[in-house]
Amino acid sequence: MAAYGDDAHDDKPGFFTRWFYSTNHKDIGTLYLIFAILSGVIGGYLSFMMRMELGEPGIQFFEGNVRLFNVYATMHGLIMIFFMVMPAVIGGFGNWFVPIMIGAPDMAFPRMNNFSFWLLPTALICLLASFAFGGFGGGWVMYPPLSTTGSPGPAFDFIIVGLLAAGFSSIFGAINFITTILNMRAPGMTMHKMPLFAWSVLVTAFLLLLALPVLAASLFMLLTDRIPGGTGFFNPEMGGDPVMFQHLFWFFGHPEVYIMILPAFGIVSHVVSTFSKKPIFGYLGMAYAMVAIGVVGFVVWAHHMYTVGMDVDLKAYFIAATLVIAVPTGVKIFSWLATMWGGSIRFSIPMQWALAFIFLFVVGGVTGVALANAGLDTALHDTYYVVAHFHYVLSMGAVFGIFCGFYYWFGKMTGYLYNKWLAGIHFWLFFIGVNVIFMPQHFLGLQGMPRRYVDYPEEFEMWNNVSTLGIIPTGLGVLFFFITVGEAFWRKRPAGDNPWGEGANTLEWTLSSPPPFHSFNTLPRMTDDGGH
Amino acid sequence: MNQNRKTVWILTGMAIAMLGLGFASKPLYEKFCAVTGYGGTTKRAASNDTQIIDRTVRVYFDSNIAPGLAWEFKPEQRFVDVKLGQSALAYYRVKNTSDEPIVGTANFNVTPIKGAPFFVKTECFCFTEQLLEAGQEATMPVLFFVDPLLDEEKRFKDVKDMTLSYTFFRVKDPKTVSAAQSRDALN
Repeated sequence: MAAYGDDAHDDKPGFFTRWFYSTNHKDIGTLYLIFAILSGVIGGYLSFMMRMELGEPGIQFFEGNVRLFNVYATMHGLIMIFFMVMPAVIGGFGNWFVPIMIGAPDMAFPRMNNFSFWLLPTALICLLASFAFGGFGGGWVMYPPLSTTGSPGPAFDFIIVGLLAAGFSSIFGAINFITTILNMRAPGMTMHKMPLFAWSVLVTAFLLLLALPVLAASLFMLLTDRIPGGTGFFNPEMGGDPVMFQHLFWFFGHPEVYIMILPAFGIVSHVVSTFSKKPIFGYLGMAYAMVAIGVVGFVVWAHHMYTVGMDVDLKAYFIAATLVIAVPTGVKIFSWLATMWGGSIRFSIPMQWALAFIFLFVVGGVTGVALANAGLDTALHDTYYVVAHFHYVLSMGAVFGIFCGFYYWFGKMTGYLYNKWLAGIHFWLFFIGVNVIFMPQHFLGLQGMPRRYVDYPEEFEMWNNVSTLGIIPTGLGVLFFFITVGEAFWRKRPAGDNPWGEGANTLEWTLSSPPPFHSFNTLPRMTDDGGH
Repeated sequence: MNQNRKTVWILTGMAIAMLGLGFASKPLYEKFCAVTGYGGTTKRAASNDTQIIDRTVRVYFDSNIAPGLAWEFKPEQRFVDVKLGQSALAYYRVKNTSDEPIVGTANFNVTPIKGAPFFVKTECFCFTEQLLEAGQEATMPVLFFVDPLLDEEKRFKDVKDMTLSYTFFRVKDPKTVSAAQSRDALN
């Protein structure tokens, strides 16, 4: 197999032009993935320090500056969400595979694509610059008055500017994806034949387009509220209402969690179908379940704020609406199971990640259904139970989805095969590690341990000990991830066009590995024999 | 390419509309609170022309001072029992403990939140900004009634107590009409 495509006119620009002025969707996707890995290392380091600190009662590492613990917690959340998960699933895999899967030569607006990417490192630098001014420790939710009158100094202003940049990057990206998917599908590629990953990115892009401007508006208002003698949108002294910020924030924040998980749903659908050698069960149901999750995701936001003092009837509505989301999510889970049912299953590395994703996401989903109930949530609000819940759906759901996609498409993106033993070690260490970290946090939460504190009473010691032990396999797992990638690049085993064989039947597997610099110069034509 | 351009304009329009909605949420939210009583927002009326009916609620009084305001602020009575529709008068005592004149303004809410839309104020010191000279003491009245409509729905049957809570803030720039007043004007 040739390492490069059979396109003789595959001209690549020089290094600087190729990577810095890049307008090629594959190169930009690669940049996004590298950026996400870098951010993941930073965000991972912050969580490593927090977990070390919480290993036993008392102050171990944040002596003399306990506020820094909250700064770490805040930055861990912001970096992992905006600079790791989103760039990986949307910017990385989305850029790489959405155009290929729908048979388009590139994204609709390649230059805007470049702009979207380069806004992100700029944004991250702004965020990290806040450390130089003492950092901001008000949590990723940024509730006023702690984020306004409670945090003077430029640190939080840097974070606002950084998040605005990241937000606009995502809005431009979303416009690009929607335009590409709606207008640039190959002949015969109807919406109802489109691969599920493209569907998931389409729904995600609409969520981004509608949710992020609301975040931008509330960040602008925070910014002007922070100016001395400025506005008072969230300041009760001036007739404002801090609770309004929470409404605005979660109107963005709840769709945001689906923004992170929907593309992972798409990836897992492809992997489950490929390694069961069966087309996905209930394709249309799967696509419209994602649409339903996206739509309902916009009307459930106040379940994050049951404790602000809300009328019982309003709570009842938000409980019911939140529980409804379990229905389309259940459709997806059962369709994955039904896809595997009677299939010829291979437990290759991506399939292991996909199965772990399904299992762990269900665990996180079930605790989510529990937390949706206002009566229970009033007791569990801001405890480690919530921390455990959202790490099960994000650091295991979204991140397992990312690794699943990475190991599924690694051969396609690089042209090389990874060593499946090394990758297997990565999987098992990571799987065991994150479960040891987060499963005990359910118990801590049920015992009433609140989140965002640097210290805790001795009653909570045992499970915190266990939780902190989990960082050893997790850390080693991450190490093996880098070893796996490094080994693959060192050994250069050619992957071939389709290393997964029968079952992998989306368009990217018809191209060489890595795909030619310009793919689909002549558009592929869809026939009626399936192909999703 | 024309199709792409059209799509972009529609999508940009959607993004800008959501951005606008984000900013418009401020007046929308206030209107919403005023109409529904969300967040314990009370009603305001020029006079009480309701019928008194035979159901009593106990109204408790609560007072708070925002940080940075050197005032003492206490209700003169812990509670009053009022019949629905009956006008009642309550007093708060304030004292400026500093040695400079200070202008303050009071924010308020009523719990239980579902009862707030039925709590109607006809006169209140919170409707305007209050000036206290250095060391000055004053008694401030609030005239209110609880709307008998509270008795008409089953879901309000359990409202037996209500708490009226005030927080006094320092007005930093007393010459301008404060936002708190414009909020009152909405009610």
